Amino acid sequence: MVRSALRKTTRPEAAARPHLAHLDLDRALVEAARADPARFDALYRKYVAHVYTFAVYELRDHHDAEDATARTFLAALAGLPRFRERARPEDGEGASTFRIWLFRIARNVINERRRMGRRRPEAALDPELDAAAPDDLEAAVVRRETAETAWRAVGRLRGDRRRAVVLRFVNELSTPEIGAILGRSDGAVRVLIHRGLRAVARDLLRSGDGHEGRA
Amino acid sequence: MTVGPGARDGEIEAFVVDRYLETLLAREPRGAADVATEVRTTADRLVQDLPRFHPSFRFVDDLAARLATAAAGPRDDPGRLIGFPPIPVRDDRPAPVRPVVIGGVLTSAALSLAGAAYVAWRRGHPPAGPMSRAVRAVARARTA
Repeated sequence: MVRSALRKTTRPEAAARPHLAHLDLDRALVEAARADPARFDALYRKYVAHVYTFAVYELRDHHDAEDATARTFLAALAGLPRFRERARPEDGEGASTFRIWLFRIARNVINERRRMGRRRPEAALDPELDAAAPDDLEAAVVRRETAETAWRAVGRLRGDRRRAVVLRFVNELSTPEIGAILGRSDGAVRVLIHRGLRAVARDLLRSGDGHEGRA
Repeated sequence: MTVGPGARDGEIEAFVVDRYLETLLAREPRGAADVATEVRTTADRLVQDLPRFHPSFRFVDDLAARLATAAAGPRDDPGRLIGFPPIPVRDDRPAPVRPVVIGGVLTSAALSLAGAAYVAWRRGHPPAGPMSRAVRAVARARTA
């Protein structure tokens, strides 16, 4: 599974992109890890929560998300010698082709995992939020309820529409980065997110938790 | 980030929303008036309300240890790093003569007639090596 995830991220069309590495945010860390694989730890620590969060949103199960996260980083470490920086000017400042590459591996690993998961019942998962301050329990309860409503509404989106919304709003990736991860054009990603937002708005309205009831 | 002349209304609207999201995620929202109210309010809400997750520290440390072990291994053997068994390489050369381990050979050879015949023949033709002498001495001591 990990090998197939890697194979899908090193396709020839990706290699044909112009090599403009000067923009890449993680260049120094990647080069250090290439020179000494023990220094991959810095990249791992930087992105482990991002990959794990993406996996939780996709798989809706903490254990499956941990497994997908582990497979993603083991595959990334094994494939690092074959990784090439390919930041493009349109990716903007702060873009990281390593991050794109890592999320593509994660996406492939998660897809495999989801296919396996269809053969067994889906585990329920509620978002575990930060512990509330003892003197602000009421606000914490409201916050938890609104978070759960948003979490469920996003979970009801389908396929790439859900992935695009999660990568944009939770992982806070740029539109070109999301396009590179999902294998879609920037325009297609913008439309996915726009339609996703409209669908979530309708969902919240139906559930009686729409925008008109909030400050 | 541009929209071509052939863009449809939906694409233009998506482009305007994307520009708003860019500023919203930078915590400096601008252009809110150009975005439909329900879309803007939903976007504001998702930025604020969608939870982030962090794996347990135990998991993070365990995986870091696995990665460190993998990083310390041979560079050109990624299959080993990620837990795949090594692919056997076919070798047409004659198999080397392996040391005879008495218990294992007797146990497995006794399961077939050929094995029994081999053991009988082997007893009648003792090899002269020091290891064989030691093995025979052990066998005699056991039967005594």
